[in-house]
Amino acid sequence: MVKVSRKSLALAASAAVLGIALPAFYTRAADTAAPAEVALSLRLSPSQYKQSMADIFGPAISITGRFEPETREEGLMAIGAAKANISDTGVERYDDLARGISIQVVSAQHRETFIPCTPQNAKTHDDACTRAFVSNIGRLIYRRALTEEEIQSKVKAAAYAADTHRDFYAGMSAALADMLISPNFLFRQRTTEADPEHPGQTRLDGISKATALSFFLWNSAPDDMLLKAAETGDIHSKEGLKKQVDRMVSSPAVEGGVRAFFSDMLGFSEFETLSKDPQFFPRYTLKVKDESQEQTLRTVVDHLVRRQGDYRDLFTTPHTYLTRSLAALYDVPLVETTDNGEPQHWQAYTYPAGDPRAGLLAQASFVALWSPAGRTSPTGRGKALRELILCQTVPPPPGNVDFKFVQDTSNPVYKTTRDRLTAHRSEAMCAGCHKITDPIGLALENFDSAGGYRTTENGVAIDTSGELSGAKFDGPIGLAKVLHDDPSVTNCVAKKTFAFGAGHMPKSDDPEWQLIQKKFTDSKYNFVELLRQVALSQVLYSVPSSNAKAP
Amino acid sequence: MRLTKILRWSLGAALPLCFAVPAMAAETHGYVISWFATATHAADFATNCPENRNGGRTELTIRALIDIGYTREEALDMVKNAAVSTALPADVTKKMENRAIVNGKPQSIYNYPEAVHDPNLETVIGKFAYGFDLGGRTEANKFEDPDTRQKVDNQLWRAVGCTESFRAIPPVMPYPEELAWNLMIDTAPAWVFSITGDDLSKDGKVTVTLDRVTQHMERDASGNVLSNMTYVLEQGTRSHNVLQGEIKDGMLSITPAEIYLEGEMPYYSEIAIRNTHMRINTRNPDAKLVGYWGGYINWTRFIYMYTSRPGNNADSIGLYHALKRMADSDPDPKTGQNRYISTTWRMEATPAYIAKADGKIIASPAPRNTTVPEKVADASVRP
Repeated sequence: MVKVSRKSLALAASAAVLGIALPAFYTRAADTAAPAEVALSLRLSPSQYKQSMADIFGPAISITGRFEPETREEGLMAIGAAKANISDTGVERYDDLARGISIQVVSAQHRETFIPCTPQNAKTHDDACTRAFVSNIGRLIYRRALTEEEIQSKVKAAAYAADTHRDFYAGMSAALADMLISPNFLFRQRTTEADPEHPGQTRLDGISKATALSFFLWNSAPDDMLLKAAETGDIHSKEGLKKQVDRMVSSPAVEGGVRAFFSDMLGFSEFETLSKDPQFFPRYTLKVKDESQEQTLRTVVDHLVRRQGDYRDLFTTPHTYLTRSLAALYDVPLVETTDNGEPQHWQAYTYPAGDPRAGLLAQASFVALWSPAGRTSPTGRGKALRELILCQTVPPPPGNVDFKFVQDTSNPVYKTTRDRLTAHRSEAMCAGCHKITDPIGLALENFDSAGGYRTTENGVAIDTSGELSGAKFDGPIGLAKVLHDDPSVTNCVAKKTFAFGAGHMPKSDDPEWQLIQKKFTDSKYNFVELLRQVALSQVLYSVPSSNAKAP
Repeated sequence: MRLTKILRWSLGAALPLCFAVPAMAAETHGYVISWFATATHAADFATNCPENRNGGRTELTIRALIDIGYTREEALDMVKNAAVSTALPADVTKKMENRAIVNGKPQSIYNYPEAVHDPNLETVIGKFAYGFDLGGRTEANKFEDPDTRQKVDNQLWRAVGCTESFRAIPPVMPYPEELAWNLMIDTAPAWVFSITGDDLSKDGKVTVTLDRVTQHMERDASGNVLSNMTYVLEQGTRSHNVLQGEIKDGMLSITPAEIYLEGEMPYYSEIAIRNTHMRINTRNPDAKLVGYWGGYINWTRFIYMYTSRPGNNADSIGLYHALKRMADSDPDPKTGQNRYISTTWRMEATPAYIAKADGKIIASPAPRNTTVPEKVADASVRP
């Protein structure tokens, strides 16, 4: 359901002065109710917004500004997006973003690229030129062709702004900003139509179907071919849908979808508030913080998309990508022979056999992300592993927990984190949950709070032995091997992939979900095949139950 | 031209020899030189410079204005006004900068510092300076090293030690060097240092190499130089130096030798030292190297860094003449003017990997000597 704050009305009023008419949709869509499991509309995530802009306008248009914060539900932002609305502040933020983009697009530097015509008089409006621009670019922004009413509204708004400012391009800028702040862009709509194959029932219309598919596989708006398949109705046939899905999973753009999914699943939004004490972890720079996310995403894309590898091997793979700064964090040499002054380059890197750093869990994007600023937290890491990788729930701690043992890292008796957590668990109220989290978190104690490798803590050798689901292991590699063979790991990623597309978790008795699971298993846990199966199923295209029957 | 070609050919033929790796050894530790500047001993300024008459930037500007014909009162007024408007009038600045007279014509003092009269800077008369006994013959010139209590030849310090620019105590560098260094390290190729020995945790004979690499340094989260980065040696041989050394009680010294490292403006365009001595602590807890290099340098090349940057160093003309007066080695056979001056440099080097262009790793970072305990930095976070 789309909810837009009262402030949007104020914005609409002030925008009108400049000739920027906010769409009537702001108030229209808010009244439609949807069942909890299938949302009528999903707010674009910041990455989807950016990717859409990059796809439409290219990399020359920079996007600066903050987005409305995302909400995580059941472990995924993608589920939160189904319930997200836009707050007062959010409207202002999206307005700032829209104006920043539109000013760049119509600037003297870029107007020839994006505006398909030149006005007869640059000091006044030119309705024909505006119409051409709005129709072309609007189709990509709204992910559908604009209605005549919408085009006329933009042309009128542009004319008002152009005449007010005595500048044709100010008018174009206003029209573009108007589209970029529209819910038609900011929300992925699910609109329905009568289903000719099932009289009395409805289905998602072609555009909604194409939009759902494109954001699922590419994390971006549909391209021209997909829009055409939607407009012609091809997308509704099995063959038509398969043709598009096969084309899309073979496209390099599928990397965008894989990146978006794993950023969401691995909780990368938490990086926004992550910091490390520079006195103790000087190699953890801001650059390294950003690069550690990229390292993981490159590892994932390389293994799952390019190599078409088994998902389970992500936890044990020695192959990764590094920059010189990341290599310094991990204390491994990385030779780069480019000229001085060039930016650091990403290089493929393979850890030698037996190196404890293999797999995703050894990367700073996991061990640093789930540690406080100045020390490690096996509990935090264990909780993250349970929730993110195994789809299990760890209850929150009670409010009156005494952290005296855990935080006293210079305690002369409890020298290692394991010692301190053992003392902490002696309090009965803490023991229950820590049994779930700590044994797996302690296996990663060779990695300090920033992701650097260590074998001792306060001069004492670190014990990394542990147990998961009855399987005993030692150290990060041991843990990774146990995870590799744990069916919860593959079940979890399949569940989350389903939810990433559907906007809700699957029900265990859902036959479509069961089929997806089976095909994922049969494919030897090929993640691209999992994406393909979800994209071909009806999961993405469910009609909200209140709209399921044709009026 | 022919001689140049022959020299180039000879250098080319000598390449393989220059790049000969030190004899196979158990280990080689690599470092990137992360701090390098004139070794100061400014804590006892009052003893070193009892007259304290060199003045700071403002006083030096006033003196320059007097030089071009203003009275002290007029100069004082102009400087006060400049403090408000942030600059002296352009014509005055131009006149100040062009007050060197060459063949009867005004020329830039930065191009012709010798054509400006010597402002006679006060020089150091104190007892202590860091450095080495380089074998200088004038006993009266010798300082005493505050650490080793040995005699020290360090006329550079004597020349510059009473100026405002060099009144710095490490880790603060002398101002002009710090300014240039901080610009350089983010852009210019770095210098690396490696020590090769059978067991570097113990005393013994070692081989030291100094090189220039193809990458600049990167900074860590505290703004210092990032440790454990990998640097690739440049292909040329000009900055490749192989030295014989020894570690005793953790202190590295070398057999005196000539070294050359190509630099990059705005820092020194070269570090070329004759009769180089070293005293470097190799057993610091954070595994960094910290110590001193001493030897003779060509003082005109040293001063170029100061005089070549108009406006940056008001005392550069004074420094030029002080260095010329204090130079203590290699007299010009015709004029008798010494062309070299004894110096001491303070150095820090941060652990690093060093590789050759073919990807072979030839040095690894020295391990830390202590385990630094982790701390509680965020008590609000759950365990």
